[in-house]
Amino acid sequence: MKFGVFYELSVPRPWDREAERKVYLNALEQVRLADELGFTYVWAVEHHFLEEYSHCSAPEVYLTACAVQTKKIRVGHGIVICVPEFNHPVRIAERAAALDIISGGRLEFGTGRSATWTELGGFRADPDETKKSWDEFIHCIPQMWMQERFSYEGRYFSMPSRAVLPKPYQKPHPPLWVAVTTPGTELDAADRGLGCLGVTFASFAEQEAKVKEYRRRIKSCNPVGAFVNEQTSTVNFLYCHEDDEVGVKIGQRLLGTFNYLAAQIGMAREMYPTKSYPTAGLLPALRRQASGPGDGSRLPQGIAIGNPERIIRELKKWEAIGVDTVNFLLNAAEIIPQEEVLRSLRLFAKEVMPAFADTQPAQAAVGGGR
Amino acid sequence: MPKSGKQHVQSLLPRMPVLQGFDTEPWDLRQAEVLQAIFEIAEEPAESLLPPALHPSIPPYATFSFATFPDSPVGRFALAQVRVVGRAGVRPRGYLLGAYTTTEQAAVALRTRWGFALEQGEITIDQRHDRITGQVRQGGDVILRLELENPEQISGADVTFLDSLHLVRVQQDGGERPLLIQVDPEYVFHSAQRGRPRLSVFRGAAWGADSRLQCTNPVSAVFVRCDTDLPKLRFALDPLVEGARGRVQLGTIG
Repeated sequence: MKFGVFYELSVPRPWDREAERKVYLNALEQVRLADELGFTYVWAVEHHFLEEYSHCSAPEVYLTACAVQTKKIRVGHGIVICVPEFNHPVRIAERAAALDIISGGRLEFGTGRSATWTELGGFRADPDETKKSWDEFIHCIPQMWMQERFSYEGRYFSMPSRAVLPKPYQKPHPPLWVAVTTPGTELDAADRGLGCLGVTFASFAEQEAKVKEYRRRIKSCNPVGAFVNEQTSTVNFLYCHEDDEVGVKIGQRLLGTFNYLAAQIGMAREMYPTKSYPTAGLLPALRRQASGPGDGSRLPQGIAIGNPERIIRELKKWEAIGVDTVNFLLNAAEIIPQEEVLRSLRLFAKEVMPAFADTQPAQAAVGGGR
Repeated sequence: MPKSGKQHVQSLLPRMPVLQGFDTEPWDLRQAEVLQAIFEIAEEPAESLLPPALHPSIPPYATFSFATFPDSPVGRFALAQVRVVGRAGVRPRGYLLGAYTTTEQAAVALRTRWGFALEQGEITIDQRHDRITGQVRQGGDVILRLELENPEQISGADVTFLDSLHLVRVQQDGGERPLLIQVDPEYVFHSAQRGRPRLSVFRGAAWGADSRLQCTNPVSAVFVRCDTDLPKLRFALDPLVEGARGRVQLGTIG
């Protein structure tokens, strides 16, 4: 099992001059440490207008900073919103390729379509069309990277023959992913040979069913890129502390804060009835799962908060159902002091990572200071 | 933390309904027709339309609805409502600004049993193939008219109607206190149509909003045929306490 860190870049009010900068700099410090400790991925979302919840509207800039400040950690551009009102597909291909070059071939390319009216309405995008535009973009972008020149006549964009430059450093192109929130998107992922980037805190039963169907279906896929990226990941919270009671208590504050901020956002389904969003999407799924039935201590299933023993126990369940990677949210609205976040990361690397075969911590960093 | 509403609740209370009790028997309302439109609204003035218990949603928005109920314990009646949507803690809720109904019997029951702050008016829903128009008149003046343009069939499964919060007065400990009661009907949809909303008349003063409710961006409109209800009251909020902390289980007060 591999581990990653996952960023929304949540900024609490009041928004004074330093508030956003502090969140960005803290996150970068966490990523430098995660790189030293042996985490495999850093992912950053693309969100717009989501007050306090996510101030990560230019993830390629943040991820470029991550790339130049680290050595091994892979940079997950995820997800890029594949809706024409947000991003022209050529600009997506160009920015991602540049990030792959700057990172020395460490890009993971995640795709998606947004689930909030706050964003879709803000760009005057039609919620009925987002799944279709995503499909068109994900079929075209790998071709822009692999063909010297690319031309296209489509429903959501058209262009005459041009060289889309630069080309990615990884050949034939970086691994491709799609965010899975709406039920059935795991099938879209499998059919197209994409990695399944779970961004909801699905229960074990839900996730197991999704993984099983994904593995079965991807065997007969028609990949949109040059290769199949058969991988599944899920998102989790992380707060690790030697004292289980302290770990759970602080971890629950993290869950509560994240869910509270997420709940303030206007979801597409809430405001615009459409079959394109049969479930409310990312944020309500987070709310539902994070307040759902737990293990007796009122924690949702599988959440990585508490002492190392508890976290190992929960993560082993994810491993057993076939999840390849768990990506962790480390903070929300800076509710946990930065020093405590770093301490939690170090403890996780020292005590939890060794219990998972694929991930060995870099020992020097585990014992090191800031 | 998210912003909170800035409404001065105490000054509103004199015109809010006095709830007769919490043990209201539910009404089944079959074969209802509901036209609802959603508009984004200007943020700053709208903050003063929400009580401190609620967070404005992001983006701020309001719902305008017209409903006809052909068969109820008080006979046929119609109901029009304007609500500002907020969050009670983490839960989206429509906070009732003002409402109108068509009969005296319905008005009395809705005020005293479910806390609707309402008056009587003429309410019509006019259905055509190219548009569905809802209108409210009071004293001969049109105070609300909006249209759902270019209706197209959708699945009722895609429609979401939010629960409501009504500001009421309740008797307690020999005095009176304000309370936000939750009215949370269930819906069984038989058909649904969606279109673009167009607001042609809105007299804010007639809905307890004066100039503070400013529609800025049309979002969606739906017209549904459904079975619904006015249910037994279950939850309430202290309007002056932030929603995550101010929930009251009915039965512990009164």
